[in-house]
Formats: sequence, C-alpha cells, structure tokens
Amino acid sequence: MTDPIDLICIIDDDPIYAFAVQKLFKMNNFSNNCVIFKNGQEALEGLSNLFNEQDTLPDLILLDINMPIMDGWQFLEAYKSTSLYNKIPIFITSSSVDTLDVNKAETNSLVKGYVNKPLNLDSLTLIKSKCL
Amino acid sequence: MLSDSNHPILSDEIHDKDFLSTIENSLAIGSWELDVITNTLKWSSFTKKIHEVTKDYIPDVEHAINFYKEGIHREKITKLFNDALENEKKFDDEFIIVTAKGNEKWIRTIGHPRCVNGKCTAVRGVFLDITAKTIENKKTILKEKQFRSLFNYSLTGMALLSLEGNWLKVNHGICKILGYTEKEFLESNFIKQTHLEDKDLGIEELNLMLSGTLDNHQIEKRYIHKNGSSIHCVLSLTIVRDTNGDPKHFIANINDVSEIKKGQNKITDLLKVTSKQNDRLINFAHIVSHNLRSHGGNLEMLLKLKKEEYPESIADEYFPLIEKAVGNLNETIQNLNDVALYHSLDNNKLESLNLLHYTTNALSNIKGITLANNAEIKIIIDQETTVKAIPAYLDSIIINFLTNAVKYKRLDVDPKITLEAVKKQKHVTLTIRDNGQGIDLNKHGDKLFGMYNVFHKHKDSRGLGLFIAKNQIEAIGGKVNVESIVGEGTKFIIQFNHD
Repeated sequence: MTDPIDLICIIDDDPIYAFAVQKLFKMNNFSNNCVIFKNGQEALEGLSNLFNEQDTLPDLILLDINMPIMDGWQFLEAYKSTSLYNKIPIFITSSSVDTLDVNKAETNSLVKGYVNKPLNLDSLTLIKSKCL
Repeated sequence: MLSDSNHPILSDEIHDKDFLSTIENSLAIGSWELDVITNTLKWSSFTKKIHEVTKDYIPDVEHAINFYKEGIHREKITKLFNDALENEKKFDDEFIIVTAKGNEKWIRTIGHPRCVNGKCTAVRGVFLDITAKTIENKKTILKEKQFRSLFNYSLTGMALLSLEGNWLKVNHGICKILGYTEKEFLESNFIKQTHLEDKDLGIEELNLMLSGTLDNHQIEKRYIHKNGSSIHCVLSLTIVRDTNGDPKHFIANINDVSEIKKGQNKITDLLKVTSKQNDRLINFAHIVSHNLRSHGGNLEMLLKLKKEEYPESIADEYFPLIEKAVGNLNETIQNLNDVALYHSLDNNKLESLNLLHYTTNALSNIKGITLANNAEIKIIIDQETTVKAIPAYLDSIIINFLTNAVKYKRLDVDPKITLEAVKKQKHVTLTIRDNGQGIDLNKHGDKLFGMYNVFHKHKDSRGLGLFIAKNQIEAIGGKVNVESIVGEGTKFIIQFNHD
C-alpha cells in the first residue's frame, strides 16, 4: 500500500469496531493516527474545535449511521452548515445492507462512498483510491 | 245499464238513428237483436265494426256464435244464450272473439231476453269492445301477482309501513330476519324493533320524504331480534304518494347484512394483525441489518486481526472451530438479510432498465462458472427492451436464474441456456430455458420458491436463490412461473413491467 494517511476520523459508537479498525489500519499501513468520536454530536464539536484552534484536520472521515444522540444522517445535515463543509472527504461505514441506506448515502453529495462493515483490505484500497 | 228488461234502451221506438249511432261510436258500443220467432239476427253498424265485417254483412245465430273463440269462450256464450232463450236469464260477461279479419278482441256482451206470455220472443243486447282496457287490466293483474309473490317469498325483508311507522304488511323474509310473527309485527311499531342507539338514524331523510323533497333513501342500521340480539341491516325506504302527491305510506326493504358485517370485522382485525406483524418484521429486518450484522462483522474482524498479529493462535485447537462458527454465523446473518429486506417498492422508485444490457452484464459476472461448465448461452433480447426494476434486484434476479441453470445441469450434457424476452402491451416476459436436470414440480412445485429448500445435491446450494429471486421479482411488481420436465430441462418465465 502507498503512504499511510496521516489522520483518520472515526465516528462510531462501537468500541470493538473502533479498536479493530485501528488495528487493521496499522497492520496494513493504512494510517498512523485515528481520532475517534462516539457519535455525531461529539464529532461535530471535536472537529469544530480542531478547526478553530487551527489544529491538524483529519484527512478522512469514516461515519457510522446508527449512533445514539446524533446519528450519521443528522451529522451530515449539521456538518453542511459548518465551516468544515467540503474540507474532509466522508465515507459512510455501516453494517447495513439495506438498499434504502445505500441509496440514501449515494445520493448525498457530501458522501464520497458507502463502505460495508466489516472493513477489509479491499475496502481500504477502495477508500484510498476514491480519496486521492 | 240494462237493469230492467221491460224498459230496454234499444227498441224500434227509437227513431233518432243518428243520435244512437253517435252514442254507439263514442262509447265503442254496438247493439244486436234476435227475433226468435223469425230467427233473424240484426247487428248495429258498430257491432259489425267490432266483428270487422262489411256493412252489408247479414249475421245469423250460428255464425255469430262462431265468432267467439273456440273453447271456453264459445262454450260459455252458447250456454248463456241458451239460458236466456229457455230460462229468461239475462247475461253479461267478457269473452274473446276472433274477428272476420282474424284479430282477437276482448268484448263484453250483454243480453236481455224479452218474453211474451212466458215465451221468449227476442233477445237484445249490447256489444262492447274492451280489448284495450282488458289487456291493460290483465297486465296490471300480472304485475300485481308478480309483486305479491316477490313480496311474499323474497328472502329480503319487505314491509309496508304507515306514515307513523306502524307495520301494515310484512313478508316472510322480515319475520325470519327479526324473529317476530306477522301478527306481532302488525301490533307493533317500527321504533320498537330498532336498536336504541340507531333510533335517530335517518330521521332527517324521513322528514325530507314526508315533506316531499326525497323519494327514497338507504341506510345501515341495527334492529333488535325478538331474542334480543342486534341485527345489522341495510334499510331501503321508499315513500308512496297518491296522485295528489300526498304521502300515503312507506315501503321498507330490509336486508340482513350481519354476516357480511362479521366478515368485514374479521378482515379489519386480520389487517390489524398483519400490519402489526409487518411492523415487527421491519424491526426484525432492521436489527438483523444493523445490529446483528455489525456484531458478526466485529467478530470476524477480531479473529482475522488476531490471526495476523498472533499467528501462533491457529495452533490452538479451538481457534479454527471458532473461526468456522463465526463464518457460519455471518452467512446466516447474510441470509436473514436477504430474506428480510424486501420493501414493497413504490412504482415511482423503479427505473427503466435496459434488459439486454443487464443480461450481458450478468453473464460477464458469472463468466467463471459458465466457462468452467462449458455452457452455451443464447440471448434473444431486443436492444430497446426496458423493464421497470431497481438495478441491484435486476442484477441479482438474472444472475440467480443463470447460475441455477448452469449449476443444475445434467452430468453428461453441457448446459444450453436460452434467454428470450418478448415485449407485450404492459409486460416484458423473460424466458430462461435450460436443458438441465429439471425438477419434479408435482413433488416440489409448492416448495420450489420456498426458503431453505434444496432439491439437488450441489455443494453451493443454500436453498435461498429462488426464494430471493421471487421476492425481488414481486417487489418490483413482477411475477415468476416455472415449467419443468425431469431429465429434460426447466423453463422460468419472468414477467416484468415496463413503461
């Protein structure tokens, strides 16, 4: 695989997934660092802080759909009106194979792609190719 | 009219012949006279007109009798006439005659014998054409009879009601519906048999009918059976007015609809149950798709990572078993997903897809197995043919049937598969024909499209393919049928909608 991505933002309420996906990234030299938010609300606040403090922004957001407090769709809606709009490529990562979810993601202009969980080498390659 | 034989209106003393003939014509009445002594019969001109004979016709008794229609009419007049001659009896009756021109007419004949010294010397009488009136009467009588039998024998409840709601006449049907005898009805009032809660139903219409602005109306209401139970009925009420337009009474038509009502309630209940179950199924599908799948996915990922990070863990005899179990779990979850995720799709969510394009695409997707099996595939699909579907479903449907056709080939025969689309007015039929093993439809027909049904030994058979394909076809508004002969092949006929 090519050079690792510097910073990936994972928005997901499932700690097991978050743990595993970080391992996967490291083992495949996909990225060095991850920032993890447990729901849309936390992510929105966290990312805004990074932006305001002119900290390094993530190069990629992997967004889950089903989350408490603020789910993936609501996050996208709120994200639209922040100054972060269009700054970071967003991928939806979900275990849902429901065509309604897939179609909804594909028709959302903010979303670069829909990736089914669990992630594997193929999905990582796909993400990278769409990101660059 | 001719009440007294001693003062006949017709006599030789009447000289004003013109006056008489005017009267004859305006009353459609003719006269006749038989002189018994000379045995001469005279007919007035109007009598001749009724018989449709010429003015110079000279009647005689024998011929006159023969104008009466053969059978009861002729027998009756003969008897009455003889009675008049022999017993001085007057007669007045209605008969059918057959005129000189062969027309049948209803006539009324009145005859009065005239006697001198106890001996009949003449019989005189009048002759009326009552055809029009009689036919009308007979029609009315028939109508009345028809109506009466309808009223009496109808299973529908029928009744005549006074303007105050008293039962005036009831039929057998209503007695049966409400359990009262005719006598009990006639001593009762409409309101007594009406369900308390429905007493005010239709009052407004009733008043409109009484005031003359409405002729009839229909309403659903409950009545009380003699045994106290309530009966759902449809009442049709019509008001009958006299020639002045004053209301006289009501005709009620009452139909017992309680069985239909019960059926309707049952259907409504069933619908409620079904839609609740459907809601649960949607929840179930959601849990499978989102939760179960992510847990299974996590397990799979963790195992993979552990295997990579700690290769020695494979040596643990439990590890491969856990790996297999997780694999199975995920496959089952995948199946559950496939099965649970069919939304009935709105027609406007469907796209018009090029069938040939999707078919060739599907073919290239399964190139591996078609090549490996040396399958010969023929496609007869017009370039322009489109079907209403969603892309993922159409892909999956075609791939499903194609792989089946290859998978279930005969061991000694290379698969030959033909896909042919025929466009009809509203549908496109796609026929997929193979020369494979075929399937005993008598034995398996009802299970062919069922879940987890496998009919042939094959390493990749999950028993879900056809189930899913059928569901996908139905979700996009299509249909699928199958014909098969064991040892010869199978034909699937898929009907799609198009624009």
